[in-house]
Amino acid sequence: MNRNGVVIRNGVAVDDTFAEAFPMKATRLVITAHTIEWARHAAAAASGFATSVIGCGCEAGIECELPPERTPDGRPGIALLLFAMSGKELAKQIERRVGQCVLTCPTTAVFSGIAEGEAVALGKNLRFFGDGWQTSKVIGGVRYWRVPVMDGEFVAEETTAVVKGVGGGNLLLLARDTDSALAVATAAVAAMKRLPNVVMPFPGGVVRSGSKVGSKYASLGASTNDAFCPGLYGLVDSELTAETRCVLEIVIDGLGEADVSAAMRVGLQAGIDFGAARGLLRVSAGNYGGKLGPFHFHLHKLLPGDEE
Amino acid sequence: MSGWTLRLRQPPALRLDLRGFTPVALGALTAAELERTPVGHGNRLQPLAEFFTVAARSDDSLVFEGDLTRCDRVGWQMDGGRLVVDGAAGDYTGACMTAGEITVWGDAGALAACEMAGGALTIEGSVGEFAASTLPGSIDGMRGGTLVVRGHAGARLGDRMRRGTVVVFGDVGEFAASRLVAGTIAIGGQPGVHGGFGMRRGSVVFAGSAPEPSPTFVPAISSVPVFWQLLSRDLARHGGPFGSLPARRIDRHLGDLAADGKGEWIVAR
Repeated sequence: MNRNGVVIRNGVAVDDTFAEAFPMKATRLVITAHTIEWARHAAAAASGFATSVIGCGCEAGIECELPPERTPDGRPGIALLLFAMSGKELAKQIERRVGQCVLTCPTTAVFSGIAEGEAVALGKNLRFFGDGWQTSKVIGGVRYWRVPVMDGEFVAEETTAVVKGVGGGNLLLLARDTDSALAVATAAVAAMKRLPNVVMPFPGGVVRSGSKVGSKYASLGASTNDAFCPGLYGLVDSELTAETRCVLEIVIDGLGEADVSAAMRVGLQAGIDFGAARGLLRVSAGNYGGKLGPFHFHLHKLLPGDEE
Repeated sequence: MSGWTLRLRQPPALRLDLRGFTPVALGALTAAELERTPVGHGNRLQPLAEFFTVAARSDDSLVFEGDLTRCDRVGWQMDGGRLVVDGAAGDYTGACMTAGEITVWGDAGALAACEMAGGALTIEGSVGEFAASTLPGSIDGMRGGTLVVRGHAGARLGDRMRRGTVVVFGDVGEFAASRLVAGTIAIGGQPGVHGGFGMRRGSVVFAGSAPEPSPTFVPAISSVPVFWQLLSRDLARHGGPFGSLPARRIDRHLGDLAADGKGEWIVAR
């Protein structure tokens, strides 16, 4: 550790800082289909335009693919995680996204992927699309709705469970150039995707437009994180050095604090394994001084050999 | 709370009405109080001890021993706990129960599980007429829970049933699922005539013999693989003729068109 509290691992500087995360409401949906391709189509559509609660209403992503033996109906499926700032907003997003992206997709069915929690409507309101021909069936204590559609019927569990989640875990990857930044971010996201209970909601799991709170424009609550913009080096009070030409961020939402922590740990390790020799110069994290979010993920505590 | 074993001394001269004798209600009583508890015998009330011997149990179960064929309303309105009849039971067994578990190791009479709303009732023998149906004069029959009959069932099984699951391993009498409002009835043996007469919604699964096609039902041309896997897997846990259901192809008929027409017969091939 140097005088600034920076730890060097494999030539990569790891800042003495923390990611600041917030409580969110979360649910898991399981989408099944006749083939995994159609489940992917539905899951991609349902989790589309769900990168940030700021403009999308929710944050969502594909958690994993499920083999037939792990789905309620014995067909291939996909687990989707959705996060919002309130249970009410999450319920609205579920209804819209399932109604427009899953109900519409050939052969799909949708189930709750979480057993315990506050119940919100899944197929409960979508059933009215059946125009009176919908029927319900309670099987094993769970109510399902069967809605006639043009390829047969759409089956949806009546409700899904909403639980407390954690949103906004993050890693800032400061790299020598675009190629190395993309390569290390891709490797880190791939490592994090192997873990359960987390999603990285931005395109490819990576965001380039990291933001700071506030703006010179009164109407904007957030604006570009100028301290990490290479193009503003020399113009603003920059966090960067002249060698740092590209910064990418990975944002992590998880069902629990431990899940986000685990994902950040493997992401950080992936970055260290990538190393300075291939272009990753530094790893940092975004926070608001620790005053806004109750979850603090200190990078040094996530380093190998420093497991909590 | 303690459990009790009530052994029938001898078959009663008249029918006994055992309403109120549930595991939860009896668990708070002493042996002396239990022996004094009045039980309906014909049109009179007499102490329980005149008909049953009473013995405490180490668990919380309520166990009836003996041939209770002339004892009605065993588990009537039961709301929790475990009740076992180590023999046959009379009419209205498990009627109006809302929770808990009843096992009858012999046959049960008419109206078993009628207006049952929750819990599990297992009849290891056969049941009489109107199982899982309505109390006389009521509109809705069984409305929740699970009735499993390992033997046969009499006529009018599930008449006006609204919700819940009925599984009969053996044959069923005529007019099974008549006027069915909703719910699931699975039949492992031979169905009687006029099955599904006037059914509005709900599912009748034929895992054994196929029924005679009814003129008021129409063949379904669409497949329902998701629904069938959900339902068949749930039924398969009962074993017997239902164990192989998830792997079997099905034909469906929709009806009864004389009623709402949203019910279905599912015939497993």
